[in-house]
Amino acid sequence: MSLPRASYDPRRVFLLSCPSFNIKHKRTIGVYLAGGLFALAQWVFWDAAILSAHARPPVDAPHDTVPVHVSFLDWVPGICTTLGMLVVNLIDKDTLMGDVTDSRAMWRARLVLFLGFAFMAGGLAGSVVVLVLKYVLKEFEDKYSYYGYASVAQNVALMLSAVILWISQQSNNEYEYNLTL
Amino acid sequence: MAAGLKTVILLSFVLAVGFLLIILSCALWANWLPLIVALLFVLAPLPNALFAHCGHDDLSSDYEGNPAVDLGRFITAFIVVTGFALPIVLAHSEVIKPTASLMSVVGGGLVYGTIMAYSQVFKQDSDEF
Repeated sequence: MSLPRASYDPRRVFLLSCPSFNIKHKRTIGVYLAGGLFALAQWVFWDAAILSAHARPPVDAPHDTVPVHVSFLDWVPGICTTLGMLVVNLIDKDTLMGDVTDSRAMWRARLVLFLGFAFMAGGLAGSVVVLVLKYVLKEFEDKYSYYGYASVAQNVALMLSAVILWISQQSNNEYEYNLTL
Repeated sequence: MAAGLKTVILLSFVLAVGFLLIILSCALWANWLPLIVALLFVLAPLPNALFAHCGHDDLSSDYEGNPAVDLGRFITAFIVVTGFALPIVLAHSEVIKPTASLMSVVGGGLVYGTIMAYSQVFKQDSDEF
């Protein structure tokens, strides 16, 4: 009733409209956020690796050996996800959207994109596999199974970073598209 | 002019305090690993500054979405988060003391904040011309 007519849209369902977040530097913020998340992901895992390298046997039993260390096996999922992220973000988005008339180039771009996403999903799945097979099933203490959880957290954060980077680059394209219309 | 001079003096003072905190966090425990933090924060704006000049062609004058600029921002964000994460990780694995880690994080934040504020002030000056 007292709402201004200008904001009335016949397609509206709800009484209160969702405020539109028109952030000016959406792309900039997204890229910074993705970079920060990428660094955070790597540091969560490097923290586990450094912790493992400095792990000592407990004080009350100094002759025990530390049961498990972070080995190269733990590094593999993170390396796969990072490689996949690199591949996904190196693809030219215009080729992917079919702006280029060459259909073979588009086909190749989609194949490479699929490979990149497969690498990322494989990395995430691999980190869960390492967590379950190397840490959870052997029932180590929380101190040691932390290494496995850190690897999973690394891969999830890397995927989030890739998604944010992708969306922030995509949103600008839509804006540009609107401008050209 | 006087206001600009005051800002420069204040910023240099804050920068000195930041470096003092980082160097103290190293020297008090005779473990010079946190000094990497100072190096990281000084290097942090460098990729941004370098890649910003790649963005301006004659063809794409005002277009923000340049991949090179994006890469620079990505690397800058990576280095900044690394600067904050490194002392925390070192403290977690008991290589350095928690107090030293806190001091180097605060000092690094001061150094990076000074660099950011200085570039902002400088940018406003160059816009006036």
